Amino acid sequence: MTEFLVRRAFISAVTLVLISLIVFTGVRMIPGDPARVMAGTDADAAGLEEVREKYGLHDPIPVQYVRWIGLALRGDLGESIRTRQSVAWTVAIKLPITVELACLALLIALALAIPAGVIAAVRRNTAWDVLASAASLCGVSIPNFWLGIMLILLVSVRLGWLPASGFVPLFEDPVANVKRMLMPALVLGTALAAVLMRQTRNAMIEVLSADYIRTARSKGLAGFAVVVRHALRNALIPVVTILGLQMGALMGGAVVTESIFVLPGFGRLIVEAVFTRDYPVVQGVVLITASSYVLINLLVDISYTVLNPRIRIGGGVDGA
Amino acid sequence: MGPDAASPIYPLALTAEAPGKRSGFLVRTWRVGRRRPAALAGAVVVLLFGAMALGAPWIATTDPVRTDWSQIRKAPTWAHPFGTDDLGRDGLSRVVWGARISMQAGVFSILLAIAIGVPVGLVAGFYRGALDQAIMRLTDAWLAFPFLILAIGLVTILGPSLTNATLAIGLGATPTYIRLTRGLVLSTSEEDYVHGARALGAGDVRLMARHVLPNIVSAILVQATVAVPTAIIAEAVLSFLGLGVQPPAPSWGTMLNAAQQFLESAPWMAYWPGLAIFMLALSFNLAGDGLRDLLDPRDY
Repeated sequence: MTEFLVRRAFISAVTLVLISLIVFTGVRMIPGDPARVMAGTDADAAGLEEVREKYGLHDPIPVQYVRWIGLALRGDLGESIRTRQSVAWTVAIKLPITVELACLALLIALALAIPAGVIAAVRRNTAWDVLASAASLCGVSIPNFWLGIMLILLVSVRLGWLPASGFVPLFEDPVANVKRMLMPALVLGTALAAVLMRQTRNAMIEVLSADYIRTARSKGLAGFAVVVRHALRNALIPVVTILGLQMGALMGGAVVTESIFVLPGFGRLIVEAVFTRDYPVVQGVVLITASSYVLINLLVDISYTVLNPRIRIGGGVDGA
Repeated sequence: MGPDAASPIYPLALTAEAPGKRSGFLVRTWRVGRRRPAALAGAVVVLLFGAMALGAPWIATTDPVRTDWSQIRKAPTWAHPFGTDDLGRDGLSRVVWGARISMQAGVFSILLAIAIGVPVGLVAGFYRGALDQAIMRLTDAWLAFPFLILAIGLVTILGPSLTNATLAIGLGATPTYIRLTRGLVLSTSEEDYVHGARALGAGDVRLMARHVLPNIVSAILVQATVAVPTAIIAEAVLSFLGLGVQPPAPSWGTMLNAAQQFLESAPWMAYWPGLAIFMLALSFNLAGDGLRDLLDPRDY
């Protein structure tokens, strides 16, 4: 198992280095003077020189990369052209909003997907199964920003039940906060629920045909106990893996959701940064998103290696 | 992995396409279609959208970008069945023309992803070793960028336009094809018929093009059918955010962007473009499920 974990961690480290290279190269591909790109069009000659000095823009490219990555590792991702605040700080104050949104979306997705997937698998090829599969297909196909707009139209404009936009910090007024977060979380969670439901159904179908389920049933255990205690627990392992892989889609979805519901989170930050050509912020956000995706999936892999005895004893799954 | 070529009926199987496959294909299409009416309906709707995209100039005779100040945000009438937008443009006409942009972005981006991903994956899976490792690590890194974030990043560098959005979506989808192709090649190139062809003196290029590729085409095709709706939605999202097609071009995403500002006074502006994206994506997904059934019956 140790060998697998070391190998897995090594691959992640290589991936992280490549990600930083891609981001570094990407910013260099923006036409124009790199100092101007990092300092903004308003910067004067002294400002440009300061940036050149900090990032060593006179040095050869490999040296520049090493310097840049060194600064990034110490948390220095440059400063926003627009606000002159440090990128790390800008991200740090926006991130909790997106994390709250993502957690709520995840909760909604799991609450919808797991029961629906289990019912679809247990009642395979019945109307329930067809209904769940159809709902899942619709969930994957519906563009989430349109779903958001339609929800605002129905829930806010027509029924007046929930506010359509705006943000209230969680610790200021938790009720008002959740009221404003509910619709965005539902919108963000729909596609995830659709994917997870499919996975749960497929994994449950496979597990339910396994020998130990027959054993459990023949021992005289009640159907519900078998399904939940024996089958679901095992079926959730692949579901957790998919969940890790879906984190990217969740982060991408947050960009759109936050734009529609005017939430001042991470996703809206990147859109605003793109429009104002605030390259240091775009670069920082992209770097952080990709790196956290790699780290989350490393954690997922490690955790299920530790949890799943088959992998623990068998020496690991193919990490490549 | 075409089951036909590997089947014991053609032990040498030097012709990767088994004889008689073509005549059987139509029969099987009919059988699968009858068994799965939803998939058939999906395929029909996709074709209808395709026809709408190609025939836009004849179907929507009202100019989709012509503004009419006397017709601003008018509710649906016989003259404008989908209503008009904030500049008095005909909603129906814009939805019809929007099919062109969506199809273009969806299909061309995935074609680009296939054009890059399949050869790279083929080489990685065929030669293995250090080259394979290098390609796969790069693919891992590429995949770590969330699809949409990557597309946004690329559009930032390239500048917002339909071509650049298509390019960005295509590049974002490429690693999926590298991975898929590599995996398929790894298993296919161990098949007896590949070893047989190699023993008969076939070179690498011939082996890849004539023996490996034809047997993985169906899996790639299925993946493409489910990738196109994702690409279509991605284009709509980019345009919605203002990073894709630029106004006044009629893209479903830009239409929804405009509609968002008038939800209370002109809700019809938001209904149709979104419904169009939903219908097209759903149909592609349904058709893709049917295609999987059709091309690889062993899964069911």
